[in-house]
Amino acid sequence: MSLPAFRVLQPRTVDEACRMLAEHGAEAMVIAGGTDVIPNLQMKLFAPHVLVDIKLLRELSQIEFSPRGGLRIGATASLTHVLETPWLAEEFPVLSSAVATIAGPLQRNMGTIGGNLCLETRCRWYNQSYFWRQSLGGCLKKEGDVCHVAPGGKFCWAAWSGDSAPAFLALEAEIEIASVSGARRVPLRDFYKNDGKDRISLTRNELLTSVHVPARMAGRRGVYHKLRVRDSIDYPLAGVAVAMEVDASGICRDARVALSAVNPAPLLVRGAGEMLVGQKWSRELAERVAHAAIQTGKPLTTSASTPIYRRDIVRVFTRRALEEVWKNGQASS
Amino acid sequence: MNKGIVHLRINGEEREIAIAPNRLLLDALREDLGLTGSKRGCDDSSCGCCAVLINGVPMLSCVALAASYENCDITTVEGLGGPSDLDPVQEGYAEMGGAQCGYCTPGFMIATKALLDRNPNPTMEEIREALSGNLCRCTGYMQIYESVKYALEKRRAISAAAASGVRAPVVR
Repeated sequence: MSLPAFRVLQPRTVDEACRMLAEHGAEAMVIAGGTDVIPNLQMKLFAPHVLVDIKLLRELSQIEFSPRGGLRIGATASLTHVLETPWLAEEFPVLSSAVATIAGPLQRNMGTIGGNLCLETRCRWYNQSYFWRQSLGGCLKKEGDVCHVAPGGKFCWAAWSGDSAPAFLALEAEIEIASVSGARRVPLRDFYKNDGKDRISLTRNELLTSVHVPARMAGRRGVYHKLRVRDSIDYPLAGVAVAMEVDASGICRDARVALSAVNPAPLLVRGAGEMLVGQKWSRELAERVAHAAIQTGKPLTTSASTPIYRRDIVRVFTRRALEEVWKNGQASS
Repeated sequence: MNKGIVHLRINGEEREIAIAPNRLLLDALREDLGLTGSKRGCDDSSCGCCAVLINGVPMLSCVALAASYENCDITTVEGLGGPSDLDPVQEGYAEMGGAQCGYCTPGFMIATKALLDRNPNPTMEEIREALSGNLCRCTGYMQIYESVKYALEKRRAISAAAASGVRAPVVR
């Protein structure tokens, strides 16, 4: 498939990138690793006149931790860089286990953490060639006014398909966004809109520059479980992230459970923390939290697997992840 | 679209090409530079046939804009070795049946080369992980893993021989 015509601008500083985005606004798109943007451009999902290539912004490629500032990962840090930062796997296991599942090693060498947090939502009716889409007259998200997932509905259900976002949600991350009018910091949970068509709170003249995790999250136990067609490479069909603080007597002191790929946004499971805090491990408690998870996860026929199976696997993964994390990595069922 | 001049170091040689900004690295290699070793498989970054080394790191040239890699070192399968001076990786794939139809082979050899350059003693798990972004529809992967093992034995033999000043023995 061919690419549309565009110009490529390569800013050397964040300020310069922001000026470029301010100037070209709606006609511009940001590109870093290219693993999401280029296939989407080939499918004619977007037709920007300008690509702002931020790959060379070295100031955004750092991964650092300080006891006061916590963890900061720059937007252009590659996913491989995240995985190969050894202390990160020890201090933030939920994050490294999630990033390890993103695509395959070649894509992780190119793809960036910022790109994964801004990933385009996916749907079987949307991520297709222009020719394919035209044969159906398009869909609600693109070129049409009918949703083939929920006919009659006026809401786009394209699924959030990033793996790092649920891990960052479980770690109460914040992101920093830059534009010509200055920088703003927002909790990651407020960044996602749960609308497949309009997925994130980021205007065309803004740039996501970094993601931050509070220092108190360091050392928190965690894991991410992911369902996909091919275990070596695919996007998630369902994903569950758990981050938890457990004290010496085995009592949960703080916990968050987040889901991916079963809603138009990565979402924290409502009520999971309240159910878990102050409790000791029990299978019955894990089942109750797993039940809460399937009340938050609302998969529809947006992907290769059925909603019933994906919903059930959310329940199973939630229970397994809790057991694994609580019992500190020992056997799960 | 206005073409621009892009400088790339391809297989150790400085090359200069005039290309449009939307030229993919894969097309620049295959069509502007005549290096047809790298293959277009899936065309959407999910098969690994187009893998090349960019500054030593294996990446997918089908989702890379050539102009974004100005002045980078690019190694394609042609850069591993020619018919008279095969790289141990190429020799391994030839000897152990790692290639059947051959379409995915350049990508596999690039991923293998990147693995062995970084980690001369990979475990089976590390080999499988390093090649997990490459798809092969013929071999069932076992011959490919055997090829990688051959290549790493050969590389060990070469470095042992170099250390002792003797010519490399043939590994079978």
